[in-house]
Amino acid sequence: MRRYALRRGLTVIPVLVGVSALVFGFIHLIPGDPAVTMLGERATPEKVAEVRRQLGLDRPIHEQYLLYVGRLLRGDLGTSIVRGDPVLADLLRRFPATVELGTAAIALALLLGIPVGIVSAVWRNSVVDGLARVWALVGVSMPIFWLGLMLAWVFGVQLRWFPTGFRLGTDAALEPWTHFVLLDAALQGRWAIAGDALRHLVLPAVTLATIPLAVIARMTRASILEALSQDYIRTAEAKGLPQAAVVLRHALRNALLPVLTVIGLQVGHLLAGAILTETIFSWPGIGLWVYEAIEARDYAIVQGASLFIAVIFVTVNLATDLLYAAADPRVKYE
Amino acid sequence: MRLLSGALLVLVLLLGAAGPAPAQTFVFGGQGEPVQLDPAVITDGISAKITRQVYDQLFQFKGATTEVEPALAEKAEVSADGKVWTLQLRRNVKFHDGEPFDARAVVWNFERWMKTGHPQHANQLKAGQTFEYFEGQFEGFDDRSIIDKVEAVGSHTIRITLKRPQAPFLQNLAMFPFAIASPKAVEKWGTDFGKHPVGTGAFKFVAWKPNQEVVLEANPDYWGGRPKVQRAVVRNIKDNSQRVVALKAGEVHAIEGINPDDVKGIEADPNLYILRRPTNTTGYVAFNYKVKEFQDKRVRQAIAHAINKKAIVDALYGGSGLVATQFQPPPLWGYNKELKDFEYSPEKARELLRQAGLPGGLSEITWEDGKREPLVFWYMSRSRPYFPNPKEIGEAIAADLAKVGIKARLQTVEWAVYLDKRKNGQLPLYMLGWTGDNGDPDNFLCYFFCNPGVSREGFYASKPLADLLLRAATLTNQAERAKLYRQAEEMIHADVARIFIANNEPPLAFSKKVKGYVTNPVDDERFHTVEVQ
Repeated sequence: MRRYALRRGLTVIPVLVGVSALVFGFIHLIPGDPAVTMLGERATPEKVAEVRRQLGLDRPIHEQYLLYVGRLLRGDLGTSIVRGDPVLADLLRRFPATVELGTAAIALALLLGIPVGIVSAVWRNSVVDGLARVWALVGVSMPIFWLGLMLAWVFGVQLRWFPTGFRLGTDAALEPWTHFVLLDAALQGRWAIAGDALRHLVLPAVTLATIPLAVIARMTRASILEALSQDYIRTAEAKGLPQAAVVLRHALRNALLPVLTVIGLQVGHLLAGAILTETIFSWPGIGLWVYEAIEARDYAIVQGASLFIAVIFVTVNLATDLLYAAADPRVKYE
Repeated sequence: MRLLSGALLVLVLLLGAAGPAPAQTFVFGGQGEPVQLDPAVITDGISAKITRQVYDQLFQFKGATTEVEPALAEKAEVSADGKVWTLQLRRNVKFHDGEPFDARAVVWNFERWMKTGHPQHANQLKAGQTFEYFEGQFEGFDDRSIIDKVEAVGSHTIRITLKRPQAPFLQNLAMFPFAIASPKAVEKWGTDFGKHPVGTGAFKFVAWKPNQEVVLEANPDYWGGRPKVQRAVVRNIKDNSQRVVALKAGEVHAIEGINPDDVKGIEADPNLYILRRPTNTTGYVAFNYKVKEFQDKRVRQAIAHAINKKAIVDALYGGSGLVATQFQPPPLWGYNKELKDFEYSPEKARELLRQAGLPGGLSEITWEDGKREPLVFWYMSRSRPYFPNPKEIGEAIAADLAKVGIKARLQTVEWAVYLDKRKNGQLPLYMLGWTGDNGDPDNFLCYFFCNPGVSREGFYASKPLADLLLRAATLTNQAERAKLYRQAEEMIHADVARIFIANNEPPLAFSKKVKGYVTNPVDDERFHTVEVQ
């Protein structure tokens, strides 16, 4: 196990080197001079030269890459071209909002996806199963952007149940201790604000949860169906255990392992989905931040955030693989 | 599904329904995150929307016009040679930090903008910021600037000496980048001043929550009268459709940046209304004069007659477009009302092509160096105020041209490459436009036509036009200048130098609870007149 962990851990290094090269390279790959893009119609040659110097684009490319990696190793993700703020500090300040949203979405996806998957596997080919499968298909293929707007329209504009955007109501004063609004509000005993924050969380979390929910439900269903056909299930049934115990104690435990992997992968999709969801709901996390940076051609932010997201993705997958190995004694890695 | 709706219902019951925003607060749905709130170094409209509430300039734009009226300066006198301006400043005005507004503060601001060695200028340069608008409007920094010196000649009087007369001088001073900041606050915060803005404006800065909102509070001592609301909040909503949703949900009172397709839905909503900002933007089709066919005026005329501008404006501008007859938009005082546009007439266009020796139309062009290639008509890949749907507009123009036998292949490329190709004079026939900065005709015409033959303008060269525009830029008498600009528009029209397609009057949408918002062509819109019921 320990050897596996070590080996699996080491594979992360080439991945990260590759990612850093890609992230670095894309500023050179995209068409057009980034300096001209940033400056727009009013660009003068002097201004363009100045911005190129600022971006370091006037140096030879290998030199640029080495400088870039050197800075990365010192934990320096550069400074925003538009605002001049350090990218890492901005990233860390905005990340809690994304974590809050992502956690809510994953929790929702698990709390609903797993039961739906179980129900539809146990009552296979029933009406419930049919509905769940159609829903899962729709969920996977749903354009998040459209769904978010529709939810905002129905629950925000027509019913006025939930706000259509932001983390808090206008002008809500809360000290940002941890930058997790719910946590801050609870710690400071501001329950009205906590309630407000929760109401703001509903629509974006439901939107972001849709795809992972559908994927998890489908995976759970398939995986339970497979488990139910195993010999040990027949044994359990044969010894007269009630169906609930057979499914929940024997089948589910084994069936959840592949689901675990899927959840790990979904974290990556969640971060991608967050870019759209946060933009639709003006949610001040890294998704919205990256979207604005792309529009403003703030390459320093796009590079820094891409790298950060890649690192998170790699880390979560590493963790899932290790968990998998730890959770399933049958799995042996040589 | 039942579970989901059940969970939602529980949450709703737990938390109660959304309440409306308190009436004493005006909530504006901004188009995204401001860059920063130091007006001297910003160039983006999103930030300027907020700095206009917090600061004043010496002059400002009057109501819904591009005319200049006194703001922090009460009176301006200019010497006979047009080079020395004496400005009387408003008395009893204080910055939000309690510091007095006086001649010293104004001189300090000018020196900060002008002198690259000024500590509060040098630190910005080091941080990668430049005073871009100062450089653009006043011809550079230090010795290069048209401003020779700025002196305090009394506690509330300043004298500005120019090297040459500058016709749009007061117009320039009325632009948002030349807002007067509290010297003490700038010195206190340095390059972080943009996060802690202090001016003399109708609203004081309270807080900026990143990617959420900027909160402002009424300045009860505002010289222009106490604002009608207690607070103003600018919420940053990046997505155009979502901004409409937030308005319909009652979460914001006003929005801008509306997709043309959404305008009808807003007009149909009994709780909302639309105001249009007087136009200050013109979209055009430009020729490359290194293309032999376009050197023939009859071909240019044919193209002008072939394009059905009205149909384009009606179909693709969401009711906000105007047919453009010339480069200056109608609100500018140099606008030529007499100018008669090319009528839409495919027959005339065909006839002109025949006269030009192209009876079969035009599908291949010849560059000056003899190279022949198929005609490509370039449209922009990015939506701009003057062409909100560049692709659709490009397609409409190409279809009009095809009707008279001019078969152009439509093409676009990434925005930066587009601008680059345009700058290098590589586009044979292309769409672009301009949005004015200060309401002065010079700002529209001179940038394009004062440098005959530059590759950036498709090598168009008219020395008489350039001379006329350069002369107009040095006069101080507005009536005389207006005459010259009207004449310039006639010259451009007569020569079909390029074809002006449309002006856009960008719509803003409001809740019916809101009254008193005044739209302005150069976006000089201040919230202190706004009421919320």
